Amino acid sequence: MVDALHVLQAAADTSGAYRDFPVIGSRAAIWIAAEIHLMFAAFVLGVPIFAVVAEAIGIFGKDQRYDRLAKEFTRLLLIAYSATAIWGAVFVFLLSTLYPRFWAYLTAIFGVSMWVYVSIFFFESFTLYLYYYGWDLWKQGRAKIVHWCLGILLNIWGTAVMFIADSWLTYMMTPPRDITPETSPTSIKLWHAILNHTWMPINIHRLIGNVVFGGAIVGAYASYRFLAAKTDEERAHYDWMGYVGNFIAISALIVLPFAGYWLGREIYQYDQSMGITMMGGFMSWLWVIQAFLIAVLFLTGNYYLWIGMGRIPGAERYQPYTKWLLVVLVLGALVWGTPHTMIADSRELAAMGGSHHPLLGALGVMSAKNTAVNLMILSTFLSFLLYRRANIRQVVPWAKTGTRIQAAMFVIAAGVVLFFGIRGYFVEAIVRIGYSVYQVGAVLACIVFVTVIDVLMARGAQSLGAIQWGKMPPRSQYALFILAVTFTWLMGLMGFARSGIRQHWHVWQVMQDTTPYAATPALGYAAIMISTCVLIFLSLVGFIFWLGGLAEKSTFVPSTEAPHVGH
Amino acid sequence: MWATNLRIIGIVLGTLALYTLIANKIPQVQSEVPHALTLGANVTPEQLVAAGDQLYHGAGGCTACHGLGTRAPNLLTDEKGLGPIGARCGKREAGKDCKAYLYESLTSPRAYVVSGYEPIMPEMGRILSPQQLWALVAFLESNSGTVDVSAADIPAASAASGATSGAAGIANGSTDPMTMIRGAGCTGCHKVGTEGGAIGPNLTHVGSRLSAALIRECILRPDTRVAKGYEKFVGVMPKMFGNQLTGAQLEALVQFLSSQK
Repeated sequence: MVDALHVLQAAADTSGAYRDFPVIGSRAAIWIAAEIHLMFAAFVLGVPIFAVVAEAIGIFGKDQRYDRLAKEFTRLLLIAYSATAIWGAVFVFLLSTLYPRFWAYLTAIFGVSMWVYVSIFFFESFTLYLYYYGWDLWKQGRAKIVHWCLGILLNIWGTAVMFIADSWLTYMMTPPRDITPETSPTSIKLWHAILNHTWMPINIHRLIGNVVFGGAIVGAYASYRFLAAKTDEERAHYDWMGYVGNFIAISALIVLPFAGYWLGREIYQYDQSMGITMMGGFMSWLWVIQAFLIAVLFLTGNYYLWIGMGRIPGAERYQPYTKWLLVVLVLGALVWGTPHTMIADSRELAAMGGSHHPLLGALGVMSAKNTAVNLMILSTFLSFLLYRRANIRQVVPWAKTGTRIQAAMFVIAAGVVLFFGIRGYFVEAIVRIGYSVYQVGAVLACIVFVTVIDVLMARGAQSLGAIQWGKMPPRSQYALFILAVTFTWLMGLMGFARSGIRQHWHVWQVMQDTTPYAATPALGYAAIMISTCVLIFLSLVGFIFWLGGLAEKSTFVPSTEAPHVGH
Repeated sequence: MWATNLRIIGIVLGTLALYTLIANKIPQVQSEVPHALTLGANVTPEQLVAAGDQLYHGAGGCTACHGLGTRAPNLLTDEKGLGPIGARCGKREAGKDCKAYLYESLTSPRAYVVSGYEPIMPEMGRILSPQQLWALVAFLESNSGTVDVSAADIPAASAASGATSGAAGIANGSTDPMTMIRGAGCTGCHKVGTEGGAIGPNLTHVGSRLSAALIRECILRPDTRVAKGYEKFVGVMPKMFGNQLTGAQLEALVQFLSSQK
């Protein structure tokens, strides 16, 4: 059967299945076009989510700052939207001209959904225009609520567009099992192809990932405007905007690994060998790089918060604790980045003294890694909590008891994480996997309950002084740039992992890639491609934002009000 | 402002350079495409071993599990005091020599799941050609064993592959249900009467649970219906029995299983 497939494939190749792209080759051309399109798409899908939330806070919390913030978010969106469409068109043209046979295969299955996609895209575009250009027109009373509903509608269109596109790429990864190389694409039912194993996990993962990404890019934008600001008031506004962008990115980042676990589990359930290729096969080193990037994100995100405490009167009470948080974060990052199951040749195995390193092998297992990452999440949450309550003194009579309960919750959560982390070394793998649920559950429960207690405790709290927005050293703003670059790079890396596990298949075990570029490249080459894409993307984003700045003034309005106290 | 712009550009470029440098400093592993292997009639055992070595460490993807000691048995080094695979393969199954055992382990891996490991190995016959499979067998034998694969085996393998791709059906076209069940390796996972494993549902009374039509569907499209409690093994059962069984064999098998009440 394999030989027959080779013959069929070879016959197809001779009849114009592929064309090549000059100089860089067709794989690199498709890689760049798809990656940059996805980066813009992630931005224009993530930003409306928190623009509409910010607008809601503005309406229902009667805080005009948030309304202005939402409008500024949307202005960025408007400019980035056309770039998304342009790169989408580039991607489709390249795919249809360089991989015509594969393109024909996809259209035979998904043609109808492609028509629906462009229709929704049309509606999405005009909803966005109405949303942005109607901002000042519909700003009072019921009209404002209608305007806010337009924002919700924009998110519905955007999510629908993403779900449709996700079905195409997830079909390539995990086509339904009854589809074989002999199955005619025209006989495959559309909904059957859409409803494949990884469709919904990818949808959810991308939804959260887009929020993270959007927050990071907005944070970088705000930090640039902060550095370029000419007045203290303008600086204060963009300092606050950068804080909000970073807060959104880090908050959503904390949830993202859980969506990642679900996606990974679905991949394993679909095909064990695909899962093993991803986690322990030729891609195993990729996860060490990922751990390094996540460590950079955690450390930089916390660093930004700790510097931010310098502009909050009363925060000096908490600053001595930050060095201990730093110790936990660094140790956690080291454990998480410890390699364990790596492809090694006989020389390397001999040098290591076995299939695993005698000392580091014990730290590289999932028990240790899950423990490390959960403690890092707890530490980051604690940083945020200290930041949040830095300039207030609680006046509720049960404030001390509440703080003790909060402390106990942290101790219990850390205890649960450590207990299951250690116990994991003494049980079977199948039992150990289940322990991660208890660890994650303890951390999430701690985050939820501690936050609820904190909000209740802050009622009527005495202010120790207003946050001095704008009083941030420039290095804090450069930290936001590092966050944006790292998030973007991480997105490119994870995209490579998702796409690369198909190896030499356009559609896993259904349609083989027979181009000279069929071999999935090593991480070094992938890193060069990812950095190239990130550089192009950030350059374009910088250019687009600069253009936007030329055409329109900032939404910042100098105010004569007293500076705001809250976050 | 120019100084600020330059500093931002420097930070962006520096961060990108750092990540690119680290990714280029770690071991570089590329996923190879399994290229067709053409072996002449006068191929030597050394050539077969060399080709197998290349496949084992490259496109075959074997090192993703074997040799790590956790997911699959060690093959090139000692496994629980039994030595490398070449030294132990002839003793694994009574009446089966090393060569036959290794070939079947590659084409029907679930028939020989080593105790303590899960049935996660894909059927290599779906990924590699018979020539490549025999090259792998020769390479595995060469690890503390005697290489007895020769050019004469390869046409035989092609014939065997032809047989399993539908021309003569499984088990040389026999329509005896138990011969087919054993020949197709069903008992590697399913229990039928007193024979077989416990990885898949017990088929001893399958006729009382499923109609003939459903049994046929489960053989042809195993993952369309998953028995309760076996969800984690979705994808494990091969999907190619529709190609391998002849029409008469399929019907004989369905009738046999539906009569097991």
